[in-house]
Amino acid sequence: MMPRLNRRHLLILAAAGLASQPMSALAQSGPLRLAFIPQENPDKLLGDIEAITAWLSSEIGMPVEGFVTIDHAAAVEALRNGDADISFMGALPFVLAEREIGAIPLLSEVYRDAPSYTGRVFVRRDSGFKTLADLEGRDIAFADPISESGYMYPLAEFERAGLVSSPDAAEDFFGRIFFAGGYQQAMQAMAEGLVDAAGASQYADLLLTPEQQSQVTWIAESDAIPSHVVIARPELDAELRENFVAAMMKLNMPEHRDKLRYLYGPDGYVEADPSGFDGVRTMAQRFGLL
Amino acid sequence: MIHHVLRVILCAIVTASVLAGPSSATPAKEAPWLPEAAAYRLTLFLGNLAPVPWDKVEQAWSEPYRGSEYRLGAFDWLERESAIEVADLSDAIGRQDRHAVHLAATRLIALRIEEELDAAIAADNPAVSQQAVATAKELYRAFADHIKAADPSAARTLGRAWLELNNATGSAGVLGAGAKDRNVKEMTDARAEISAYLAENYLVADPAPRQTLTAVPEAIARTGQPVELPAALPPGSDIFDQDPLPLLVLNFEEQGIDETDLPLIAYGDMLFDSAEIFGGPARDLGIACSTCHNRSDINQRFFIPGASHQPGAVDVDGAFFNPMFNDRRDDPIDIPSLRGLRFTGPYGRDGRFASLRDFSRNVIVNEFAGEEPTPFMLDALVAYMTEFDFLPNSLVTGDGQLTEAAPDAARRGEVVFNRPFAGMGNQSCASCHTPSGNFLDRKSHDIGSVAAAYEESHAGALDTPTLLGTLYTAPYFHDGALPTLASVVDWFDETKNLGLSGAERSDLTAYLETVGAADEPYEDFDTANTPFRLAFAELTTFASTLDTLLPKRDARHILVLTDTVAADLAADAGTMANLSSRPEVYALAERLAEVGAAVRAEDWAAAETSWSLFKTDAAAIEDKAF
Repeated sequence: MMPRLNRRHLLILAAAGLASQPMSALAQSGPLRLAFIPQENPDKLLGDIEAITAWLSSEIGMPVEGFVTIDHAAAVEALRNGDADISFMGALPFVLAEREIGAIPLLSEVYRDAPSYTGRVFVRRDSGFKTLADLEGRDIAFADPISESGYMYPLAEFERAGLVSSPDAAEDFFGRIFFAGGYQQAMQAMAEGLVDAAGASQYADLLLTPEQQSQVTWIAESDAIPSHVVIARPELDAELRENFVAAMMKLNMPEHRDKLRYLYGPDGYVEADPSGFDGVRTMAQRFGLL
Repeated sequence: MIHHVLRVILCAIVTASVLAGPSSATPAKEAPWLPEAAAYRLTLFLGNLAPVPWDKVEQAWSEPYRGSEYRLGAFDWLERESAIEVADLSDAIGRQDRHAVHLAATRLIALRIEEELDAAIAADNPAVSQQAVATAKELYRAFADHIKAADPSAARTLGRAWLELNNATGSAGVLGAGAKDRNVKEMTDARAEISAYLAENYLVADPAPRQTLTAVPEAIARTGQPVELPAALPPGSDIFDQDPLPLLVLNFEEQGIDETDLPLIAYGDMLFDSAEIFGGPARDLGIACSTCHNRSDINQRFFIPGASHQPGAVDVDGAFFNPMFNDRRDDPIDIPSLRGLRFTGPYGRDGRFASLRDFSRNVIVNEFAGEEPTPFMLDALVAYMTEFDFLPNSLVTGDGQLTEAAPDAARRGEVVFNRPFAGMGNQSCASCHTPSGNFLDRKSHDIGSVAAAYEESHAGALDTPTLLGTLYTAPYFHDGALPTLASVVDWFDETKNLGLSGAERSDLTAYLETVGAADEPYEDFDTANTPFRLAFAELTTFASTLDTLLPKRDARHILVLTDTVAADLAADAGTMANLSSRPEVYALAERLAEVGAAVRAEDWAAAETSWSLFKTDAAAIEDKAF
């Protein structure tokens, strides 16, 4: 669910930094600008951005602005032309942005003690399906064709099992493949019996009601997928990058953890490891995206 | 997308409406509603109350629902997002015409779905199409559960149509890669299926008036066939536990006695957490005693539109929970704490019940429409609730005197507290809130805090509440009218002409805050002691009463237990930090359900076997139960 974005949502929020604050001697001449990708209600995101940029500004000692972009492409474009310095992004769009503009990963989100997660193939417990092979000729719902955990990684498990020769040949194995529009939609379709299986994030069953959660299980799990990253344009001043990372790492401290809810709600951040994205790069190539 | 799903989870947003599975006291939290869909569901809910609270119906459309992520109310939102006229609905609300409101609101939602579907088809790219389809689906959510209940076959057909529709919107790809064109023909075909159903059932010119306002499709409603709708609370409702969770202090536990050695109390503890003892809709929503009285204290977040005038309050004799007990008076009360319950009788805000047992029966049978409880159930509940102790407070002695640790301001306030005032008939605060008697006198007094129900009425006398633990139970007074202890002091000063100086008011407030304080008011959770671990310990303790009940072949009480605990255990598994052990908890819950199934079949040997296996399995996973 997402109301349509309009001009109002795209306005740049007020700079959180105040003129009276001591200005940093960094090479950056203007404010530090953060691009956010809308995930839910943009109205709420705007409020979150105001809160987190104000705090970052006080930590870094320079004005920090945040703005909402239409999508990943707009965020990357903003990084390319210097309208944004830093952006929050999924692993797949990051590896594409890395190729296009040399984007640098700064921080990885941590959930449940890990900067990664997996994709799973879920079925109803009463379905009798025990293996991926049992799903031959059956209907499956995925989240979205460009979702790592909601399509690419779960489908790769069918390839690994020798059931699907390539992404393009997936339709030969299944009855129907649906892209439901998100984890929740895919999981609901499976839980309600509209389809036989769903490919989604390992945590997607938590989107179901408690009763539904007890009625579903999973029969395959993918390799680890790097969680979302915070990336920077390559030209961003190195010292400013370091200051930003240092400020963000403070969010792991008990006294600052409450602010994580303004940033898509991870459990914390770790410094990003560029080599950790090799699997995503490979996956993107297999799906013809890179 | 991982941060989306986890944020959704961490923000405690799940699916559907605020509802619970059968018997489960673990409600599912809802995804945010679009403003007009929320207003529609609120209209259905409020429109079924008697008398209809028309001011709240109007509010449902003019203001964001409580907790909404949208800053606009439905009418303002529609003005911004839609071209559909709302005059019919607005007029109907103004006329307080229930049927016309239902008709106009239902048409409005259907037309909004159509409007978004039009936009989805007309869009020139997948991203815009997907957004419009997603919005249309969110609007359809206002009808979906009632369609599923009334017309399951159509619900399935429509579910597939929504899947087909979204699937045909293609993909915008990512950064230009992986883009996939829309399939407009498939979109149009799927849309036609949805639109035909809407036209037949929700855009009908002359729908039959309904005794109960629902989103049941017109074709079904016209047949007059009964439809069992799932219990659901409207948007803005909140029946989740208070956070932070109040600390529960049980007398026997403080003495080191294990609850599993106290089967009557353990059974009462289970009943206190059981929705099974209530009737619908409380039972179906998973509402139990503990929903309002979290851990013997209060639940400051409890809120049901139409039944609560503010968070932490509820009208238990209104139209919602038990129409038979509806007093047709809009008189919600602030939920009282049950700490120290054995010292605080009589019971009820006006002390109308001398006996806790009578009070409890009234709650079960009259307020929440439950079946007549057995004597054993009432004995168990009373045995458990009379174990509720006040929170330990090292600032006050057992006889209500301040200790050395109390601050000076509180000492000065104590003097004021004990001073007789002419405005209070030469009595002091301590005259009623007797320090040596847990700060109460077990009497009712009319202090002028209740408006007279009618001229010359004497309905304003209320039971003196204790002051112990009150630092954590704001707001104050029977209707929660006063937000802080300082405001309580101000109220007395002003209404009783006490003539207190600013310093005296401050000192008296400090005294109240000191008396009302606690060493540890809340549960202290960490990575090891998680809410699930607490729930697991409680639920397995409840189950331990089977050691007593099975040998007695007490089927009725066994089934209340197994129905309650098995469902709760499974539902609570979703809150585990240790997600990998969820399957074992589900299996454990099934084991307990097997006990119940065997008892229902009067196969006592099988029941004993399942119970024995349950104990073995529970012990085996105890370390992983967090």
